[in-house]
Amino acid sequence: MIHNIFISSKFLIERKRQTAVALLGVAIGVSAFIVMTSLMRGFQKYFIKQALNINGHINLKVEENNDELRIVKKAFNPEKYLFVVLGSKPKEKKYKISNYKQIIKMYSSNPEIIGISPHLLGTGMVVYGTKEKNASLIGIYPELENKTVSFKEYLKSGKLSQLEADKNNIIIGIKLADDLGIKEPGKKISIVSPSGNIYTLKVIDFLNTGITEIDKTRIYIHIKKLQTILEKPGQVNEIIFKIKHPEDAVSVAKQISLQTGYKAESWQEAFRNFLSLFRMQNYITYIIVFSILVVSAFGIFNIIMMTVLEKKKDIAILKAIGYSNIDIIFIFTMQGLIIGIIGGIIGNILGFYILEWLETVKIEVEGIIRVKGFILDRNILYHLFGFIFAFVFSLLAAFYPSYRASKLYPVDIFRTGG
Amino acid sequence: MKIILEAVNIKKKIKQELILKGINLKVYKGEFLSIIGASGSGKSTLLYILGLLDKPTGGNIILEGENIDFKNVKKLTVLRNKKFGFVFQFHYLIPEFTAVENVIIPMLKAKTNKKQALQRATNLLKQLGLTEKINKRPFELSGGEQQRVAIARALANKPSIILADEPTGNLDSKNTQNVMEILLNLNNKYKTTIIMVTHELELAKLTDRTIELVDGKITKEIINKPDKYTHVQN
Ligand SMILES: Nc1ncnc2c1ncn2[C@@H]1O[C@H](COP(=O)(O)OP(=O)(O)O)[C@@H](O)[C@H]1O
Ligand SMILES: [Mg+2]
Repeated sequence: MIHNIFISSKFLIERKRQTAVALLGVAIGVSAFIVMTSLMRGFQKYFIKQALNINGHINLKVEENNDELRIVKKAFNPEKYLFVVLGSKPKEKKYKISNYKQIIKMYSSNPEIIGISPHLLGTGMVVYGTKEKNASLIGIYPELENKTVSFKEYLKSGKLSQLEADKNNIIIGIKLADDLGIKEPGKKISIVSPSGNIYTLKVIDFLNTGITEIDKTRIYIHIKKLQTILEKPGQVNEIIFKIKHPEDAVSVAKQISLQTGYKAESWQEAFRNFLSLFRMQNYITYIIVFSILVVSAFGIFNIIMMTVLEKKKDIAILKAIGYSNIDIIFIFTMQGLIIGIIGGIIGNILGFYILEWLETVKIEVEGIIRVKGFILDRNILYHLFGFIFAFVFSLLAAFYPSYRASKLYPVDIFRTGG
Repeated sequence: MKIILEAVNIKKKIKQELILKGINLKVYKGEFLSIIGASGSGKSTLLYILGLLDKPTGGNIILEGENIDFKNVKKLTVLRNKKFGFVFQFHYLIPEFTAVENVIIPMLKAKTNKKQALQRATNLLKQLGLTEKINKRPFELSGGEQQRVAIARALANKPSIILADEPTGNLDSKNTQNVMEILLNLNNKYKTTIIMVTHELELAKLTDRTIELVDGKITKEIINKPDKYTHVQN
């Protein structure tokens, strides 16, 4: 086989310019794959990580399980009758989780569940000087919250305990603070409750998760204080859970739903819009990269096809002096493979250095998430896949022309003088 | 003299036309046979079949006592590599390769190691008066030199039979003479069997035996050197 590689490489070296163009095509395709995959996966993984860190894995909400048969079931034995409900009006709206203490107790001994934190959620208007903003108010038990989400991590100065010490202290999202014009902690703001009462509270810290939606809307208050503001003494309307294996959240949520009668939503459900957006994003990227690879594969196809057409005489003499069809296929496929392998290596190196460079770039990126610079998910597997794609595509591209070459009948060439 | 290659009632049809109409020919080991005939009489077609490059429509080829199975492509390929050396009117040297690299190509296929192959190729080229041209590319060589490189390539694997299709057809008289001397010398010194197609009677007369092809049939056989055929056994 070494003699065939010798012949292939000689043929390739003779067409330096075409070979270089094809190499470049493969290299660009491979590096684009590596860079785009790293960028995209980096962004997606970061988003999910941050969102999970601050939101908990499972949310138990007050909305009832949407069981349309619930009323008829009360009147008739469902085992005996078959019901069809043609439309039901949600009449039994629950607004609190009345047995939340029992629920917390029930799950705190469950080894699968690491943290449980009850919330009171509400909305209100925040006023600072002349600025007004709507905000979502989240009432928490600071200690429980911090066991359930990585809350402290995202606080600018980590003053979580002061929420407990003085119930008039609050923590607000950093973007919300920006919008209101609050630059440093210690400022007093007013919150207008739905019933019109005004409460003056002190901002002691800022929440900076990097997820714009959260940082722009949330205000954390001690749950006792919020119960007073919203005039809902002792009430809880959400419980969040942190579980040992976040990937199992769907099934754990289902189980909690069944056991408690409330709707428990896993993070996968809560983020399903984002997750399907990510999926779409991935498809688009792969289509782009695939197109680049197809174009470079055509480059390879062209070169080999042209070589085969130009080299009919050489193929004829090689066959006459005892080179088999397989040798001929090998000689020409090898040329494509050499382009694929070298292009794949160059693409890997190129991709590596583009990623190195991207890591040093410090620009403010503001969108769904806010970060300084690019978040990259660097993985040797992406490099490996890039290389395998280059290999497979060049093999496929070179095979057909090589096969054609092997079918050439030498006598036809010698008769016409080639 | 022993028979090395035999054609038995070889027929070849190309596009509904019978080009070879039943050729019976015995080729003896060590002889220099020439095939003459007008252009289009079927000389090349016959030579390709004798060299296992083309398959006959009918009849048999027997090489060293063995009937050739034209369906066994792998075997044909190996036989072409080991038993035959081809020289054509055009040299068919591979332009990317130097003279010596062109000569080692058949040897590499025969799994000769590269060092030995290079040594043998260099020797062959030297014997053919190409000492200065060993590392030159084909385009840097004259027509006569190119044809001598092609002969060296044909000799690379020490073939039993050299098949030459108008090897001087493209050369001037000086180079023609030179190539004929090489072939005659090869036949004399190394007893290599040579079958040469030509349409020049003058050249044919220099060979041991000449057959004439007219319209796909052998019409005449002339023995130029009768003393070489005293021990012929049929
Ligand atoms: N591929 C082909 N298609 C049609 N006719 C062919 C083909 N090859 C050879 N022939 C015909 O076969 C005959 C013999 O050809 P060839 O063996 O090349 O003759 P020679 O070598 O004696 O000049 C010619 O008449 C030629 O036209
Ligand atoms: Mg001819």
